Amino acid sequence: MRSWDPPAGQGRTLTSRATFGGFLGAAHEHLGSPASLRAAAEQSGYVAEIRHSLLRLAIVMHRYVQDARDEPDRLPGRARLLVGWDRAGAEASEALAQAAAVLHGDSAGRRQLGVRAGSDLAQRLDAATVSLIYGRDLLQTHLARGPDGERQYRSEWGAVLTSPPMSWALLGEMAALARQLQPLRGGLERSLLARGNPQALRRLSAACHWLLVMDNSIQAAERQHPVSAADRALLQALPVNERPPRPLPNLNEPIGGLCEGVIATAERARHAAWLSASEPAWSPAVTATSLRRVAAASTVTSHHCEILLRSLAGGAQESAGDVQAELLRAADAAAFARTRWLGLARSLDHVTTDTRGQLSPAAIEAGDLALWTGRLAYSDPEWTLASGPDREKRPAMSLAPTLDNAAEIVAAAHRGCESLTRLAQGGRKQFRAAANAGRILVATRSAAKLRRTARPFEAASPDRINAVLTLYEYTVGASAGAADQISHVDISAQAPQRSAPAPSDVSAGAARTTAETAEGAAQRNDVGADGRPGTIVRTLRALGVTDIELLERGAEIDLTGEQLIVDATTAVRGGVARSTRGGCEALEAEP
Amino acid sequence: MAAARERLRQASGLAPVLGAAHEAFGAMLAAIRSNEDPTTGLFAAFIMAAALAADGRDAVAFAPSMPPVGSRDFLDDEVDVRIPPESVARLVSDLSQLLGAQLTRSAGQATDPADRDACDQAAQCAAGIHLLARDGP
Repeated sequence: MRSWDPPAGQGRTLTSRATFGGFLGAAHEHLGSPASLRAAAEQSGYVAEIRHSLLRLAIVMHRYVQDARDEPDRLPGRARLLVGWDRAGAEASEALAQAAAVLHGDSAGRRQLGVRAGSDLAQRLDAATVSLIYGRDLLQTHLARGPDGERQYRSEWGAVLTSPPMSWALLGEMAALARQLQPLRGGLERSLLARGNPQALRRLSAACHWLLVMDNSIQAAERQHPVSAADRALLQALPVNERPPRPLPNLNEPIGGLCEGVIATAERARHAAWLSASEPAWSPAVTATSLRRVAAASTVTSHHCEILLRSLAGGAQESAGDVQAELLRAADAAAFARTRWLGLARSLDHVTTDTRGQLSPAAIEAGDLALWTGRLAYSDPEWTLASGPDREKRPAMSLAPTLDNAAEIVAAAHRGCESLTRLAQGGRKQFRAAANAGRILVATRSAAKLRRTARPFEAASPDRINAVLTLYEYTVGASAGAADQISHVDISAQAPQRSAPAPSDVSAGAARTTAETAEGAAQRNDVGADGRPGTIVRTLRALGVTDIELLERGAEIDLTGEQLIVDATTAVRGGVARSTRGGCEALEAEP
Repeated sequence: MAAARERLRQASGLAPVLGAAHEAFGAMLAAIRSNEDPTTGLFAAFIMAAALAADGRDAVAFAPSMPPVGSRDFLDDEVDVRIPPESVARLVSDLSQLLGAQLTRSAGQATDPADRDACDQAAQCAAGIHLLARDGP
């Protein structure tokens, strides 16, 4: 037995989909370093042109902040005292609105979109704006509005994007941009080349000040409730909602190409499963044919994942023992998932639906996934599900000659098992919905009943339906367990990350903070305040105060005051609860 | 499966063919399910074939001309597990081929469109099973 060779340089990336981080990074890159931005500001030239460019940027940033705050579900009733991130979002929105207001004005320097600016600084601002527009468009591909204006998800990423941690991460990114723009202020004030109305220069300076206010508000929230690095990374990795094209395996596809095929197909299957979960109960696509096909193909896919992981473990015998043990554990988990899927498939033999024959997209993708994983697991380049019993499994040597290849295969198996989880979840939802609609049938066993009704099928009993739903539940758990076990295989510790993250990568921390936010929101609603954010700051602004120090002090006072009210409310409620409980105990103790 | 094959071979007319086809799909399903062994190379083919056998069974069961006696669950039948999977694959391949031919013929003779559709659908399932099982030795 051999050990894996060290990775041979930088490997290929398995996905090429645009991510939000790409556009965000481009925006930062266009603005440049503080020194270069300051230098560009000092060489700025026509002030009205810069003012217009900064206005566009502020408007786009404001839209991002509004998106991050647009979470009606988080704050039921809207009666609340804004604290923490909610307050930061409100203040950031207001600060950007103020920045836009001071920049808005005469039409001097206004350019049509696509007309190149004259100065380097305006060009930088314009380029950053365009990158941010594209980035926001990318995020919006996951969301939609329903007929009543309610938010709808167009992909499984939608729920992730609108989760509080992602909203906070988005606000944090806007704050970082605002911070990056700060050298503008000093640079413009020092510029000897700036041409134009002195009032325009003052307005630019005021806009920078509002950007600083925004940054400070968000940083205050960040200090109270930091966003984890994992959540920031996940936001950046958010891909465009674009289903990859259906890959078709070629003969003699190299291992890397097969891994790409598995990952792309897994993504398509996951997306189809997500869509299938929202199919209405009456949908003709909800058929026993589809449910059985998904179960059968997923049994085969989990079997192939087991084969792949065992082969890798065989090839790792002389390398790190830990890796081999992890691979074997992952293979066992995949085998357990296969057992669960097989049990589910068998249970579906006993039931049917009122319509049959039509195959759902999820069933088609599940079949493709079984084919692609099979091509990877077996040596025969023409392997199909109909291939006979004498097909040789791919030996470890040809499967993973390098550590890079091994990491690719582990990533492919991981994505495959993740998709199996989604397929099981989607199937469970469909089955439950069809059962509730009376569409799950069983053969009529009673001869007398059959003669009387002349119907070969009757509605399945609740016991039968529950039995199948329980098997779906087990299958979801086993598939998720396999994906989790594979994620512990640490080959990638020495090799670059290969596959794009999935929505399930939302950190446990994100889930925890979501729960905390819900709890906090409920607590704040209990306070019953008037909901006006930052009363002192608003008063200062109404007085025309623009001094950042004064505004910061005002914000601190607002925050302290609100915290005092929250603490006092909690203490009073606790005291009432304690005294009531004490009273009850006293009454019970009385003879 | 041998009995199911014989009955199918002798069946004549739409209703008898549907009844025999239902029995044949059920017998294949039971035989396949008893031989799903992940250590054999036929595992993937058997798993997919089982799903098609269940679909084919249901397709004929819903045909208007299906005789009432057909609603029997063959999955409860005893299956001889001493037969090696390769032999099961061969038997399934033969039976599915005969099924496909009989059902296609019946589809051509059926006057009720629902019977025709049921026969066509079941014939496709039989063809799929044959494709999956035929590569066995």
